[in-house]
Amino acid sequence: MNQRRLAVVAVWLSAVLLLATSACGRHHRALGRRVVVLGFDGLDFQLTRDLLAQGRLPNFAKLAERGGFSQLGTSIPPQSPVAWSTFITGLDPGGHGIFDFIHRDPKTMTPFLSTSRAVPPSHFVSVGKWQLPLTAGRVELLRRGHAFWERLEEHGIDTTVVRMPADFPPSGHATRELSGMGTPDLLGTYGTFSYFTSDPFANGGPVAGGTIVPVDVRDHVVRAALEGPDDPMLKEPVKVTAEFSAHIDASRTFAKIVVGGEERLLRVGEWSDWVPVRFSLAWGDLRAQCRFYLKQLSPEFALYVTPLNLDPLAPALPISAPGAYAADLARATGRFYTQGMPEDTKGLKTGVLTTAEFLAQARLAANEVERQYAWVLDGFTDGFLFYCFGNVDLVSHMMWRPMDPGHPAYDPAVDPQYRRVVENLYVEMDTVVGRTLARLGRDDLLVVMSDHGFTSWRRSFNLNTWLRENGYLTLRPGRRIAGGATFDDIDWSATRAYGLGLNGLYVNLRGRESSGIVDPADRDALVREISGKLLQTPDPRTSAPAVTRAFRREDVYRLSADQDLAPDIIVGYAKGTRASDDSALGGVSPDVLTDNRSAWTGDHCMDPEAVPGILLTSRRLQRKAASLKELAPAILAELGIEGFPSQEH
Amino acid sequence: MFGSNVKLDKALLAKVKRYADLAGYSSADEFITHALEKEIARLETADSDEEVKKRLKGLGYIS
Repeated sequence: MNQRRLAVVAVWLSAVLLLATSACGRHHRALGRRVVVLGFDGLDFQLTRDLLAQGRLPNFAKLAERGGFSQLGTSIPPQSPVAWSTFITGLDPGGHGIFDFIHRDPKTMTPFLSTSRAVPPSHFVSVGKWQLPLTAGRVELLRRGHAFWERLEEHGIDTTVVRMPADFPPSGHATRELSGMGTPDLLGTYGTFSYFTSDPFANGGPVAGGTIVPVDVRDHVVRAALEGPDDPMLKEPVKVTAEFSAHIDASRTFAKIVVGGEERLLRVGEWSDWVPVRFSLAWGDLRAQCRFYLKQLSPEFALYVTPLNLDPLAPALPISAPGAYAADLARATGRFYTQGMPEDTKGLKTGVLTTAEFLAQARLAANEVERQYAWVLDGFTDGFLFYCFGNVDLVSHMMWRPMDPGHPAYDPAVDPQYRRVVENLYVEMDTVVGRTLARLGRDDLLVVMSDHGFTSWRRSFNLNTWLRENGYLTLRPGRRIAGGATFDDIDWSATRAYGLGLNGLYVNLRGRESSGIVDPADRDALVREISGKLLQTPDPRTSAPAVTRAFRREDVYRLSADQDLAPDIIVGYAKGTRASDDSALGGVSPDVLTDNRSAWTGDHCMDPEAVPGILLTSRRLQRKAASLKELAPAILAELGIEGFPSQEH
Repeated sequence: MFGSNVKLDKALLAKVKRYADLAGYSSADEFITHALEKEIARLETADSDEEVKKRLKGLGYIS
């Protein structure tokens, strides 16, 4: 049974139980003031500084004047789940156990996503074609250590933590909590869109982050089905589906979408609101929601459907604690994207959405977040509030190129019109800060922070190709490239090191890796040798180093449990260079360095010193916070709480 | 009971017997069966490469 099926089984039985674990029943004392932390994912220090100098961020400027504006050192590596886990726990990755988006089990060499996993029910009873779980499954957060809001709650402080990244399922320790980046859609993915088209030249089937579905138009009607997960109650995998139809008017200007008992009339180019969708299971049903975008009716039919989001009014997975909090938010300000990364970057990357359509979709998501924040802020009278805005990060990934005429894929005919998209989002965040400041009093504290910065991603580096060219990795005879399945075609008996994830380099260590060949006594010398060579590797395009930092894990992590998961070297690519897609999945491609021609043109998974985040505060903090790791302890110190994180980690 | 013989070295068998007793299993066979079932379940539930790739691509970081 795969993870997606497990997730749904887990959901089916245990979501409600999990949600009961929040701190909402705890007794709180009035703090007599408010502390607000605004997390702006991916807000870059240099760009913020430039816009401040131009006078375009007046509310940021107020904060800079009152409490200061500084760089906030990010995590090693500067990847969002690693960075946010560092902020949450006050620990480095050696303590919280999140080293990269992707980890591997060294015993099986199987990769897995680092932040959460579904644990199946342990016992089933088989009845005919059904399997009936006897025990509850669950979804498990893999982050270790204590979240800083646990300490606040222990001191009787009411805490609200909304859209915290890398916090799915929610920890259950805040008074109210909604999970952010990392929250999956109904399929258990980070977002899988559907695209229904009658274009005869469109290839049907899966694409990165979505599915293309060929359809026919018959008598002005399209009949198709939304595809959900496998029915968890059936032994054999069978997808649940929800049929829908699109009825096209004679002028080919409008279409009526009918799904279940819901109907929406859409003009060409119009987005629907959230449409509730029910998937019938062998017993009961699964609830979801989606938006429809009528892309075109002529010459061909084209309908984009967002990933099937969990219904916040009845989520099939635990996305909030208490469980009713997601529904409270939805009732107050409307249904919202529950998937952790709502901006559909994949729709743009695959060409299903144009840039303008992607920006319109991102705008819908941003409006929901801002509307919801206004409601949360209105009701916030005492204690601690964290709220995260993720859209700057995701839009920056797709819209950085227009700011960089030096990017290899820069298009002078198209890009200039989008030159200010990212900057305008910074200005929008400044407005959010202004609204917040207007609500706060003299004794209150406002902290504005980001987890990492951003820069242009011009060049791609394949670490495994580099390792092969330098004699550390060997392919099976006759192979020059590898990339089908992860680590396919690698000859482990003659491989001393390999790369996986966006910054990880691992030694093929005897006793740790299943086919390890490097004696543990030789590991350190090998790590030093590889690090030295990496740092001396120039990019032939610029003659500048392609790697500017190579961190030995012993030098930057205080390792506790799960040492086997930690990379031996964390590679800090030079500003502008990132691990290639193939490299991240353990593949070997023909060239070490190539131009980045992807639509994903901004990134941050590089040398941490090249992409610092920002810190602004409404008054000078008593304790200095120069890095993410130091920020939560500094905020707690403002409230008289010392000793975080505890020494046990 | 095992349907076929499985060889364990003496030291491991002694440990198995000791911990089976400590953990309240009725026999070493029951303990071993449970341990194997757990490990097989772990392997069966591991994401396939394709599943991981699909999910990573869902992040957007990889095409």
